[in-house]
Amino acid sequence: MGDSADETTTVVVGGDRGIGRSLATALDQRGRRVVVLADGPVDLTDPAAVQAALVDASSPAPVTTVVLAHLDPAALRTTSLLELGEPGWDAAAERSLRAAFVVLQQAHAAVPDGARIVLVLPTVAAGGAAGLVALCTAVEGIRVMAKAVARRWGARAITVNTIEVDLAAFVLGDASGDVDAAGSVPAVSQLGTPALAPGSAVADVMGLIEVLESPAGAALTGGLLVADRGTVMQP
Amino acid sequence: MLVTGAAAGVGKGVAEAFGAAGAVVGLGVRVPAKAAEVAANVEALGGTPVVLRCDVSDGAESAAAIEALVEAHGRLDALVHNAVSNRSSEPTDFETASLGLWEEHSSVTVRATYRLAVQAHPHLKATGGSILLMTSPAGIEGSAPLPFYSAVKAAQRGFVRALAREWGPDGIRINSVAPLAVSPALENLKATDPERVKRIEGLVPLGWLGDPADDIGPPSVFLCSEGARYVTGQTLVVSGGRFTGL
Repeated sequence: MGDSADETTTVVVGGDRGIGRSLATALDQRGRRVVVLADGPVDLTDPAAVQAALVDASSPAPVTTVVLAHLDPAALRTTSLLELGEPGWDAAAERSLRAAFVVLQQAHAAVPDGARIVLVLPTVAAGGAAGLVALCTAVEGIRVMAKAVARRWGARAITVNTIEVDLAAFVLGDASGDVDAAGSVPAVSQLGTPALAPGSAVADVMGLIEVLESPAGAALTGGLLVADRGTVMQP
Repeated sequence: MLVTGAAAGVGKGVAEAFGAAGAVVGLGVRVPAKAAEVAANVEALGGTPVVLRCDVSDGAESAAAIEALVEAHGRLDALVHNAVSNRSSEPTDFETASLGLWEEHSSVTVRATYRLAVQAHPHLKATGGSILLMTSPAGIEGSAPLPFYSAVKAAQRGFVRALAREWGPDGIRINSVAPLAVSPALENLKATDPERVKRIEGLVPLGWLGDPADDIGPPSVFLCSEGARYVTGQTLVVSGGRFTGL
């Protein structure tokens, strides 16, 4: 995507679907050089493949921001734990964790000091949801993995933060207001209504990414920013 | 009940606490010969020990352990998954670590949690029983030297929250304890990074690192008891006040 004279590159992992795709498009529209890493074309659980993709992405401009907005699609389907089966569990829970490890590890090798790593995840794991045990397992594991590496990479001034959005926004991105598309989003019954008026989750996340990339963002790492318009309000 | 990783450390302490409560305690261990001490302690405290070979990374073995316990004693009231990778306390160089090492952590903690829960489900549904996962403060705050351990322990917390909602209608509760205790892991850390252990000890407001049986055991027994029948989906941090802001 993008073909600008910008001197840096933003990589969007999971930029082929949902909020990742919407963010990649929005970044591109702002004139930024954007490279999408999608699971499939690049096996996100293969360190060598991810390393090669990031090396490619770094030319001609270094990767200074990595947005990780990937969860395996299997995690985003409502299935009771008893019906999931072991291969289903692996696909829905463990593959996403594995991919997060590989992407974060390889990103660390690819980015310069001072880079920004931003994970985008759904809020659903904060309270848990029936039928989404694997998803909640993966999301919490990835979120705290990010905190652990944030502590490790501070010496290089690399920040690692997580932005959470509601599940519909994560799955659908800009299409989250689309009534027809909404049928593909797992139902999460226990969440309340947002305190704030509805808006574009993509625009909300874009704004937060820009804050994290700004000089003020240099002081924030290991953080969790919940951009759900006041639905979960984590304790 | 069944306690995995019962041969030493927190698992041993929790098993002994269940023994003191008069329970039939399945001692899930990889090497049965190593369970002699905990079995003797459980018996001396008034419980009934049942030593079971149970390498939790082997799904067939964990299933067999559960079935053997239920066959011998008729019921399963609680499953305590405490076992962790032998390498859980080793500092991990995230930047160079292999996928194989990740799998080692994940298979014992994430995959085994899934398997054990599914295998125990029919028995726990029959008794209105509960699951207790031994997670860690590292799984909440994220530990720089232990990034894999942090991630898999956090994953368990997500599992607890979601499964509590899913299996609540079956009458099954699921909670976790995040202990700070003297354990084989901490003993290893003493050997590799004694200064870090000293720093941890100095940060505990109550002034000591928890004893597995006396400090971690009783809250664990409580969470599996009738007294906690309205508690599910929770993580109880048992750390002498070390972690108050998690």
